[in-house]
Amino acid sequence: MRPENYQAKSHPPSNEYELNFGPNHPGIEGNYALRVKLRGDRVIEARADAGYLHRGFEKLMEGRLWIQNIALVPRICVPDPTPMEVCYSLSVETLCVLEAPERAQWIRVMQLEMSRLAAHLFAFGGHAATTGLYTNMFWGVADRDLILDRFEELTGGRVYSIYNLPGGVRRDVPDGFLERLAALLDYLEARLEDYDNLFFRNQVFIRRARDVGAMTREQALEWGVTGPNLRATGLAFDVRRDDPYLIYDQLEFDVITQQAGDALARNLVRRGELKQSIRILRQIIERLPAVPGPVRVPIPNPLAWNAPAGETYTRVESSKGELAYYVVSTGGDKPYRVQVRGPSAMHAVRVLEKLSVGARLEDVAQIMFSLDACPPEVDR
Amino acid sequence: MSRAIEHILRDLEHIAIRHDSERRVRIDLASEALPALLELLKGRAGFVHLSAISCVDWIDSGEFELVYHLWSYELNTLVSAHIRIPRDPGVYLSVYDLYQPAAFFERDIHEMFGLYFEGSPDMRPFILTEWNGPPPMRKDFDSEAFVNQTFQWETYHPDWLKDLEEQGGGIDKRPEDIR
Repeated sequence: MRPENYQAKSHPPSNEYELNFGPNHPGIEGNYALRVKLRGDRVIEARADAGYLHRGFEKLMEGRLWIQNIALVPRICVPDPTPMEVCYSLSVETLCVLEAPERAQWIRVMQLEMSRLAAHLFAFGGHAATTGLYTNMFWGVADRDLILDRFEELTGGRVYSIYNLPGGVRRDVPDGFLERLAALLDYLEARLEDYDNLFFRNQVFIRRARDVGAMTREQALEWGVTGPNLRATGLAFDVRRDDPYLIYDQLEFDVITQQAGDALARNLVRRGELKQSIRILRQIIERLPAVPGPVRVPIPNPLAWNAPAGETYTRVESSKGELAYYVVSTGGDKPYRVQVRGPSAMHAVRVLEKLSVGARLEDVAQIMFSLDACPPEVDR
Repeated sequence: MSRAIEHILRDLEHIAIRHDSERRVRIDLASEALPALLELLKGRAGFVHLSAISCVDWIDSGEFELVYHLWSYELNTLVSAHIRIPRDPGVYLSVYDLYQPAAFFERDIHEMFGLYFEGSPDMRPFILTEWNGPPPMRKDFDSEAFVNQTFQWETYHPDWLKDLEEQGGGIDKRPEDIR
């Protein structure tokens, strides 16, 4: 064709297109999709698409005994399962007017903080990968594995420990466990400096994450944001301190905040919380040997255990934010209704949709991971 | 703390306030009064955080119970406001204009219980996009009956089990024996 005969085809003036992020996407810890509409490489609309991990936990729990559900609940959040067990156990204890012995409460807090450490290592390891810094991800996952080793020693299970029961925990800590945990904490604390050099002081990460997915404190409160994502906007609120449960009121720790509310700030909050979790665990290692008592109260025959009629809304601070269980009993051997309020139900749906609008395509995965959402909490 | 809540709510009629513990307050009220209650709590006591909306299907009395869990960052108190609405037709008002997180919970309840919220921004299916049956969290939806209707049972009798049975072992109890 001779150049003078060439005539350009005319298109309607649009450069908009749609792109499916997921459901298998490294930007989030599980199967979850985000359908984004783009103009150029700028997102103009985002819609969350959930349901890939729906297993009907809430319905399943209505058909199982109070004690059987302990095997179901940790599966609702894979990276941070312990708060699920503890929150469900606390709910059943509230209904039955039981209280776990003090020693069991200390052991529960120890697990909760170990789980928080593991979840945060996983979270910012994953975030690093979305900015191309894979070394950090390998380190994070490897160090998390060392915590899982201690979980295995304590509970027998690496991820789903099924160790907390209504009324306490299954068994006492093994001999020498606390020394090995202390050695692990020394190692992890020494590692934090490495993480700072590799990641948190890395200009690639800082320049990529700054101002990405930023929200103000007012927006965060309006959208129902909780946990580290809320603290990254400057509000010092932590369920552990402000609505304490178990023995958190006897422990010393700081509530870490940042002001910027962007992806960088959210990661820095998690970085600060690693240090605080280590601090809490050190206090537990020091004081647990002197806490007397059994690790669980005698409970009725689990196969014929009726909880009194009533309802309870119990909440704890998971590594992602405010986790709550609404449990209703009509006096039977099974729950009448269980609702799981996972923090990610807010973060992964409407907050993610709003923060993605206006972002560049390459930052969407970063926003997803900086919110540290856990898709099975949305799907249940 | 809790006295402050009672003072703010003094003008509402037919309302029962119970202090369950230091930071937990239960309020029972008529469904018409809920928007007024939420406005008072949000506007005058700092209950800006809607933690969750829970739905319970009380099939025997033909009612849905809706529970609005609100947290105040100023008073450090959780208020659970309980209302009951008739199961049929199962329609209630959205509180989205007061609390944006309500959009998620209302969509979820609509999907799982079939309860419709007027004025909610998005009532499209979210999790059960390929589901055509009745709302599954209703008490009259029987999971086991649904499975029996929808799927075929297949006998599972592999060779390794036959070998085991020839040696005198095998499965001595089947699920139907235990139920």
